Amino acid sequence: MIKKVTVPFFVLLLMCGVGCGESVPTVKIGFVAPLTGDQAPHGEDMLNAAQLAIQHAQAEGAVLPGYQLELVALDDQRNPTQAVSAAKKLVSDKAVMAAIGHLNSSCTMPASAIYYQAGLLNITPVSSNPQISQQGFSTFYRTCATDDLQGPAAARFAINALNARSIFIIDDMTTYGRGLADAYQRELEKLGGTVLGHEGLAQGDKDFVPLLTKIKSMNPDLVYFAGMFPEGALLIKQHFELGMNSQFMGGDGLYDPVLIELATPEAAEGVIITTIGVDVHQLETARAFVKEYEETYGPIGAYSAYTYEATKIAIWAIRQAGVMDRSAVLDAMKNLKDYPGLFGLQNFDEHGDSLIRDIGIFEVRDGTFVSIKSLRFE
Amino acid sequence: MTASQLFLQQLSNGLTLGSIYALIALGYTMIYGVIQLINFAHGEVFIVGAYAALCVMSMTSLQAVMPWWLLLGLAIVVAMFVSALLGWVMERLAYRPLRTAPRLNALITAIGMSFFLQNALMLIFGATDRSFPNWVPAVRWDIGGVTLTLMHIIIWVSSALMMLGLHFLVMKTQLGMAMRATSQDQKACYLLGIPVNRIISMTFMIGAVFASVGGVLFGLNYGTINFHDGYMMGLKAFTAAVLGGIGNLPGAMIGGLVLGILESMGAGYLSSQWKNVFAFVILVIILIFKPRGLLGERVAERA
Amino acid sequence: MTKGTVTFFAISVAVPLVANAYQLDVLTSVLIYAMLALGLNLIVGLAGLLHLGYAAFFAIGAYTYALLNIHWGWSFWVGWAPAVLIAALGSGLVGASALRVRGDYLAIVTLGFGEIIRLIFNNLDQWTGGPNGLLGIAHPTLWLPQGMYDFSVKSLPYYYLSLVLLGGVWLFCHRLSHSRLGRAWMAMRDDELAAACMGIPVLKMKLLVQICGGAVAGLAGAFFAAKQGTVTPDSFDFIQSVMVLSMVVLGGMGSMRGAILGAMLLGVLPEMLRGADQYRMLVFGLSMIVMMRLRPQGLLGRSHKESQLAAH
Repeated sequence: MIKKVTVPFFVLLLMCGVGCGESVPTVKIGFVAPLTGDQAPHGEDMLNAAQLAIQHAQAEGAVLPGYQLELVALDDQRNPTQAVSAAKKLVSDKAVMAAIGHLNSSCTMPASAIYYQAGLLNITPVSSNPQISQQGFSTFYRTCATDDLQGPAAARFAINALNARSIFIIDDMTTYGRGLADAYQRELEKLGGTVLGHEGLAQGDKDFVPLLTKIKSMNPDLVYFAGMFPEGALLIKQHFELGMNSQFMGGDGLYDPVLIELATPEAAEGVIITTIGVDVHQLETARAFVKEYEETYGPIGAYSAYTYEATKIAIWAIRQAGVMDRSAVLDAMKNLKDYPGLFGLQNFDEHGDSLIRDIGIFEVRDGTFVSIKSLRFE
Repeated sequence: MTASQLFLQQLSNGLTLGSIYALIALGYTMIYGVIQLINFAHGEVFIVGAYAALCVMSMTSLQAVMPWWLLLGLAIVVAMFVSALLGWVMERLAYRPLRTAPRLNALITAIGMSFFLQNALMLIFGATDRSFPNWVPAVRWDIGGVTLTLMHIIIWVSSALMMLGLHFLVMKTQLGMAMRATSQDQKACYLLGIPVNRIISMTFMIGAVFASVGGVLFGLNYGTINFHDGYMMGLKAFTAAVLGGIGNLPGAMIGGLVLGILESMGAGYLSSQWKNVFAFVILVIILIFKPRGLLGERVAERA
Repeated sequence: MTKGTVTFFAISVAVPLVANAYQLDVLTSVLIYAMLALGLNLIVGLAGLLHLGYAAFFAIGAYTYALLNIHWGWSFWVGWAPAVLIAALGSGLVGASALRVRGDYLAIVTLGFGEIIRLIFNNLDQWTGGPNGLLGIAHPTLWLPQGMYDFSVKSLPYYYLSLVLLGGVWLFCHRLSHSRLGRAWMAMRDDELAAACMGIPVLKMKLLVQICGGAVAGLAGAFFAAKQGTVTPDSFDFIQSVMVLSMVVLGGMGSMRGAILGAMLLGVLPEMLRGADQYRMLVFGLSMIVMMRLRPQGLLGRSHKESQLAAH
């Protein structure tokens, strides 16, 4: 009986240890995003960009003398608990000098605490909930704008440009969705718009017809959804099929070509979305990157440029540090000034938020996203 | 939109959802009636049907030579065939060897089957939503302020026809008589020379055919399918079967419609984020207080 | 306590000498699973009640401790007790409302309750943080002569703490199953009618076993919350309930060693397969089917015949 129970224990222990003994010393960059599950398309876009950044850095020469650069990609399945496990896995690997990620604010929030306690540099390319940077973590940086800009910008656009007066708000009850929807609602009410209602829906649900029917009976000018594209696509499709004449508007979680495919182009026609950041195709500084990305991986994703930027900045910090030491990397990061990135000269404020704060507004026309406005906040 | 128009609209939404529930619930109830097994993997049979139809419908070579309605018809036939085959294989390989084993074993096997199929689907088709072409023309009628679409009418009519067909099959044909006999007393059936094993296989296949039609209608109606849709829809359909009285065919239909309507009303009048809770609360309450269901069948006395 | 058990715990105590932080972290989650499997084994293995919503009581324990810690600053050393109590109470209430439901109907009722409880945690976002869960649960600390020792995100202290807790759970379950209660549960599992005729108060026994099982899940939940620092509703979904059930089934229903073996096999697997995660549930499903066909009594379980023979 002793053997029966204890032998597998050790076999398993040995198995988790496999792969620990490497001959060439490596410096690793961790990357975490949902790589499986319904949001995997976003995660793939990010992973492609991170890999491209690693390739470029390798071409520029050794990051640290005598070390190989390696990307460790982990999957958090957009699940906060999985995100924490993945973060713990990264921090326990001494060769990891930076963590790029996560996608969802609900994942970045708890994971950032793990990175902070381990003194590991963490740059999120896309988690836009403003509270993450207010936790006071010196390890935290982010290369995108936050929802306290996106929400109000979307609200102003709805009131001023779209002439919407009565609005119904839906969110997906996540950190991101709820945070964005609340910021949107506050600004709307400030501007004198009428909020007819604000309801949550569950991720993974299919049938939103009863909710939309109720909204239809209230006859709003505009329906706003703060959430991700799988639910967004169904909402747009069912909104269209119910013959609702309200304008449909959403946040950056909907900015993915898959949205239009799932919702069908005719239903998505005229849908307005806001994005954190402008259309990268219009940026002079990002032209070469966009071209190479699209030649290698196909159409560029919503978050690809931000992930590339985050990964390149992390590599820059490791180069500046010059040694395998997490605190030296953090010190280098603090001294970053006018880093020439994809979006212009990159700087971070005392919370780690990028000072390049762009919001783009897109409309779906003939089955593609067309940029209709770009806003820059100083 | 007036209050009564809103009510009627929600009623029609509920009928649409409920018709799909009913098609799946029939399979649960038939299988339970014959061998007292909760076929946990029945929800997966439903979504396998949808994926099979999707495969046929996205074949461009067929799209070139056929009008949409013919291809859709072909897709439904293929979906029925694939699901029926799956139902047969499942019964033959997993459930039949356990027919005399303790009941927990069969239920655990069914759960294992459900997990296996779900993940097999995920590996084959990916974890992301797949868009399902809807070739049914987007015709819309406005009747007294209530919007009806051609798709809804198709769902109602086709599920009603299928249920009528099943009723005829069970009540008027020899196969149906044998199925009813098997559900009453298997040993006696053996003695009377009824091929019990074949009848049970047939029951699985018929249940699967109904589920696959439900799957195609589901795909057409919502426009996206995902490997985990089978789990939730299966659970809801099971709730519907329990609601109507498991083992009772008209009960499954009525249970499906009632559940669909309750869910739509709950989401429309109370709160959309609590609607799945309503379904589970109904399930639990029915099982605890009225395990015979609304229409009442024999007492479920199984250990 | 047998020699085997002593050896197991002795080896486990020595493991940190050879394991790194990440491996210890994985082993700690295996030990949590082992606690859960032992607890569920009482309900399913000993008393023969098929329960498909066990993760709900794990959730109740985790959320109870998390809320007590966040709002009132309760430390783990006292916070685990209310977590255990409330989880036991929750399990008792579910059990009480489903007392007359049997067999696969009971399985579905417990599944329903499991989903309802998870969805309530998911939807009551004012209190539970909704799908994002609760953040910022303080890590346990210890007062040592040298000063305060913070568990923080280290792996070693959690590993040892979970080992201690598992030892406690093991003793609890071991004593229970060798007591009058345990014998009554087994009698009830083998033949409910006969047990009732022998004067065993069947309903009371069913209630008791669910309370005991719920208490174990509550303890595991409180520890899980303390270790993770965050709890989210999707850690407690139906798949989690099935995971624990498959550990019990794989190891052999009714066997405590089996439950631990099952937890080890199924607990380490997903971590090893991180990246190839998709295959793990496929393998699970298949192994459940194959197991029921070839060795329905599990790896370390006794077949129905054997246990009947042993009883003579």
